[in-house]
Amino acid sequence: MLGSVFRPLQLLRGLASAALDLRFCVVLLAPLGLVLAALAFASAAVAQETPYFVAYSHHLEEPANLEIETYSIYGTQKGAGDFVAPWMELEYGLTAWWTTEFYIDSQHTFGGPDSTVFTGTRFENRFRPLMHEHWINPVLYVEFENTTDADKTLKEVVGADNQFDAAQPNSTANRHHTHELETKLILSSDYKGWNISENFIGEKNLGHQPWEFGYAVGVSRPLRLEGTPRACNFCRENMILGAEMYGGLGTAKAFSLSGTSHYIAPIAAWQLPNGFTFSLSPGLGLGDESHRFLLRWGVSYEIDGFGRKLRSLFP
Amino acid sequence: MRSLLIAALLAFASLAGLDHDRDPDSRGVFQVIAKAPAKWRVLKNPYDSSPDAIAAGEKLFRQHCAECHGDDALGRGRAANLHLAGVQNATSGELAWFLRSGNLAHGMPSWAGIPAQRRWQIIAYIKSFGVKPDPSASNVPASLNGRH
Repeated sequence: MLGSVFRPLQLLRGLASAALDLRFCVVLLAPLGLVLAALAFASAAVAQETPYFVAYSHHLEEPANLEIETYSIYGTQKGAGDFVAPWMELEYGLTAWWTTEFYIDSQHTFGGPDSTVFTGTRFENRFRPLMHEHWINPVLYVEFENTTDADKTLKEVVGADNQFDAAQPNSTANRHHTHELETKLILSSDYKGWNISENFIGEKNLGHQPWEFGYAVGVSRPLRLEGTPRACNFCRENMILGAEMYGGLGTAKAFSLSGTSHYIAPIAAWQLPNGFTFSLSPGLGLGDESHRFLLRWGVSYEIDGFGRKLRSLFP
Repeated sequence: MRSLLIAALLAFASLAGLDHDRDPDSRGVFQVIAKAPAKWRVLKNPYDSSPDAIAAGEKLFRQHCAECHGDDALGRGRAANLHLAGVQNATSGELAWFLRSGNLAHGMPSWAGIPAQRRWQIIAYIKSFGVKPDPSASNVPASLNGRH
């Protein structure tokens, strides 16, 4: 079934041509440069965050730690070429209850003119209102997005978002800027090594559009719960498996599943003791409105005590 | 472009403005540990004194805890010295509750994202230190010294 929707050769060819584009290089290689710079004066940490690409859990970045991440999504689409949309994230733990994150998004659509574009920036904050762990842990999420219609990162699916929205050529879609406020109520629990997270999403286009709603749910667990006495790379304690499901729920004027798109995606993550985490998630669209196939992958690197070390440079 | 600059400025202003090491006093931590619910207080560490668990706990401690508490666990800034009586005399169950729950308002994150088995291994390692004399006796309230 996947053979009819996932074209690995096209993906590789497209990535090779896109890699020659300066804008693409910035998003893909900037995190590598930042990691190398950081290695000069910082030590690595192993994150305790969950491996989801779309859903969020209540686990925030540890205070003063910086996580540099680069993720990409490949998607098939009807009525236009397939696409790859890489984005870069800088995630910082301001306090134990407040994490802030900054994103730069880009996108490459195979076979079109003006096919590689920057698609915008996002600034996100997550807050834990309760200062201790509970059976269900709420997190409040607020994000300001300054993106164009060409943004295809699919970090969330809301309203009646569907694959046909993404068929517009980049040359026209990238001219239309949108400013959006995205809010989420994140509810998350840990039980016997499992994490179970539910996100309720409300997104408002600040240009007088109605609120759009969506959801994301995720579940994950390490393959081995105990730690082993020795540091190891290829051991089960470093592997996390999970799955997530997400989709739109209509708007404030038409709260409905009609015309909405939904996805289900298994996830695998590999956390190395040296601070790197590799993640992979093939996703399937459910229904005609959804992209039939999405493949997400990413690399992140966590720097321990980045804020403290930065401040020590300016005594 | 303007919003990019504003976002970057906000992020860096936040970075500069917050001082994670502001409060070098560990008393608050010991008082929070002492508030562990009774059902946690009596929990036994399933890995108590196991050499493998202590070794695993040491590895996990270096991965997750050493940045704030130091490789020697003697504490830095507001991160507590884990050799002090306020920690060493706490029960394993109290420490398990504190690791899971954290003390977010005072900088200690919740470590509930780490499986319970690994948190117990970290506790086995911390407990293997034993009590060391406190060089600054004011760090531990008298009421918490030797209370177990």
